[in-house]
Amino acid sequence: MLDIMGIFRELKFLSALWKANLQSVLEYRGAFIWQMIGMMLNNAFYFIFWIIFFNQFNQIRGWGLSDMYIVFGITSSSFGLASILFGNTFNLSEIIARGRLDYYLSLPRPILIHALASRSIPSGFGDFTYGILSFLVAGVFTWSAFGRFFLGVILATIVFISFMVIIQSLAFWMGNTTALGNLFMNAMLTFALYPTSLFDGPAKFILFTIIPAGFMGAVPASVVTAFSWQGLGLLLLGACVLLITSILVFRSGLHKYESGSAIQVEV
Amino acid sequence: MITSSQPHKISQQFDKYWMIFKIQLQNSLAYPAEFFWRSLAILLFMWVFTQLWQVAYSTTTNGELAGLTLNQMLWYLMLAESIELSRPRFARNIADSVKDGSIAYLLNKPYDFLLYQMGSSAGDSVLRMALNLVFGSALVWILVGPPPNPKGYPFVLVAIVGGWLINYCITCLIGLTSFITEEVAPFEWIYQKFIFILGGMMIPLDLYPVWLQNISKALPFAYMMYGPSKLFVVPTFDFFLKLIILQVFWIALLGTILILAYRSGMRRLAINGG
Repeated sequence: MLDIMGIFRELKFLSALWKANLQSVLEYRGAFIWQMIGMMLNNAFYFIFWIIFFNQFNQIRGWGLSDMYIVFGITSSSFGLASILFGNTFNLSEIIARGRLDYYLSLPRPILIHALASRSIPSGFGDFTYGILSFLVAGVFTWSAFGRFFLGVILATIVFISFMVIIQSLAFWMGNTTALGNLFMNAMLTFALYPTSLFDGPAKFILFTIIPAGFMGAVPASVVTAFSWQGLGLLLLGACVLLITSILVFRSGLHKYESGSAIQVEV
Repeated sequence: MITSSQPHKISQQFDKYWMIFKIQLQNSLAYPAEFFWRSLAILLFMWVFTQLWQVAYSTTTNGELAGLTLNQMLWYLMLAESIELSRPRFARNIADSVKDGSIAYLLNKPYDFLLYQMGSSAGDSVLRMALNLVFGSALVWILVGPPPNPKGYPFVLVAIVGGWLINYCITCLIGLTSFITEEVAPFEWIYQKFIFILGGMMIPLDLYPVWLQNISKALPFAYMMYGPSKLFVVPTFDFFLKLIILQVFWIALLGTILILAYRSGMRRLAINGG
């Protein structure tokens, strides 16, 4: 039977972790605000590329600037949400390779979620906010579209985190895989930020399997711009499959884990 | 007056930084797997660029955009991407060493801090650049055909070094801002995007509206990316000459600002304990 009380307890634990992370981030308020604004400017400058590009070409196989605003908005907000809530998504391989999982193993809490949620990256607030602004300037605003945007962001966040956990869990078998993890993260973000109509045949297959960037950019964007139950179902299915796979891969990797014999206080 | 011992001293100084360069080069080779994975990033970017520009070129009537063919466009982007991926990113290292005080260990050594950073970051760049060029060229050659005329390569190499020095000055300056601000990472992000857009890394400046071209060409970023990359695909001596003059101007200006900022930073530095 589903342990409702158990889920409630873990959610309470997670919210306590997030609160502690937020307090820690706000401890250096000036640096936090500067990182947030800096990240928003960073994203805005990057997006100028697409403005220049679509100024020349108007449309690329049916994709226009408005579509890019939405794809960019969803990808940026989901990346930001992952950074804020599950900041160790980006350095899980290092935690594994250096034996720092010992700390999480020694506590009576779910290891993966505890490890991921133990850090918050301040610049994530900039990414998250920028994504919302990007959606707002796309020119498709309705309250219903805004709701679908948030749903898309949450599911894209699950997709992104799950993918990163799968890749970073390779550290259980291969040792430190930071560079490999960065390569795959770059691939995921690059493909998610480009019009999927550019890719056909085997490339498209890759974007929905090996590097599931389609579930982080194009599919959630289609849920916003041209909603269909089929599109939403596909996104839900993609997110569920990736989430379950990531948990299974991590658990399987744990059997291979070699302790660093270094139980330490995580600050 | 030049004494006979001066050339010897200059040579000794050069040897010191040459050694730092070589040590960093060896460090880069210490983790071959990591190095390999990092080098593969260019394949990803160039493949995506190829998909994008193939579709863009299919909409043109004469197969040219701002005077560049698809082949030239992709070789341009390959060189620009190689320069970007090989660009040393040591601003955060400087900032960290200022913040935690470990800069003291570098300052009391018998070498100049700025030249040490130069030797060390050059060692970091060289191998990365070589591998990016090898992987990037192989892919672009397969996808769109052979590279431009090799006659221009020596000039391109000079222009790449000039662009590298501009980047070195700006990166050092970003690192030194840690004397006055807690967090330098946002400066790095924004600087990188200036290179992407105003430097012409993602799209050649020739495709910009005139007003944006003018702004871009009035700033140093274009001479790190656009200059060497355009020279690579359209090698003319006139363009090379103009590029070098502007690179020298920016290196002199930024170098002067860097030295002044460094001296001012040293005056502010307070190291406690030991």
